[in-house]
Amino acid sequence: MMSVQGVALVALVLFCIGFLGVVSRKNIFVVYLSIELMLNGVNLLLVGLSRYHEGSDGQVIALLIIAIAAAEAAVFLALIVTLVKHRRTLNIDRFNTLRPKGTR
Amino acid sequence: MEFVFGALSVIAIAGAVGVITLKQPVHSGVSFIATVVALAGLFALLSATFLFMVQIILYAGAVITLILFVIMVLNVQASHLPDEKGQGKALVLGAVCLAPLVALGMRGFNTLGSEKLVVLGEGFGGIHGLGMALFKDWVLPFELISLLLLAALVGAVVLLKKERV
Repeated sequence: MMSVQGVALVALVLFCIGFLGVVSRKNIFVVYLSIELMLNGVNLLLVGLSRYHEGSDGQVIALLIIAIAAAEAAVFLALIVTLVKHRRTLNIDRFNTLRPKGTR
Repeated sequence: MEFVFGALSVIAIAGAVGVITLKQPVHSGVSFIATVVALAGLFALLSATFLFMVQIILYAGAVITLILFVIMVLNVQASHLPDEKGQGKALVLGAVCLAPLVALGMRGFNTLGSEKLVVLGEGFGGIHGLGMALFKDWVLPFELISLLLLAALVGAVVLLKKERV
């Protein structure tokens, strides 16, 4: 069913898979890729709605989101490299420098 | 057309499931490539030709390359991988958190029309229409994004600078 409903369904499924990846995995790379999955799901929904209403605004927002995702990739990967250099692990539970002493 | 849409959707969702289920980060990155390329195809089907090109060049070309490059530079050993035993509880909790969103999405879903979308030919979604919209109605967000990219550049350089002791 190549309709806007089908596109919205695929976009919702992608967003949900990305969210589940963020909350269930402990590997910092997989968490980052899951965030990208959520962004891509939203992009698909925007492009589908833009096609449905035959206006360009949705595609412009999707373009801005892609630019933000590229900026996020640069900062996030720099952050990962720094953290892994200091902690020698990919486990997000070990990155707890800002947690107050005595919690958990 | 229907078949192509269905196949691309299945590839995109299968790649996404691969990203969050595979153990090695490199395998996750490779399945993410499948998702990104399938989404580019879906953009083309939805007659967003410029975004199709941007997705291929920027995502599949630049961002994925950067991700895989970093994964390989860090030289991830099996000992670095976190022990991920208690995933079931987190998945159930995440599904509970998602339930309201899915319910809301289903309500909005029924307000959308179900007529078939065909590929438009008369320059919709091309670079001309997109550029006109971007520089007429969206010029302030565009400028703010340029500031954001500058901040991201500076931030990445600061994070990776060698500390002089």
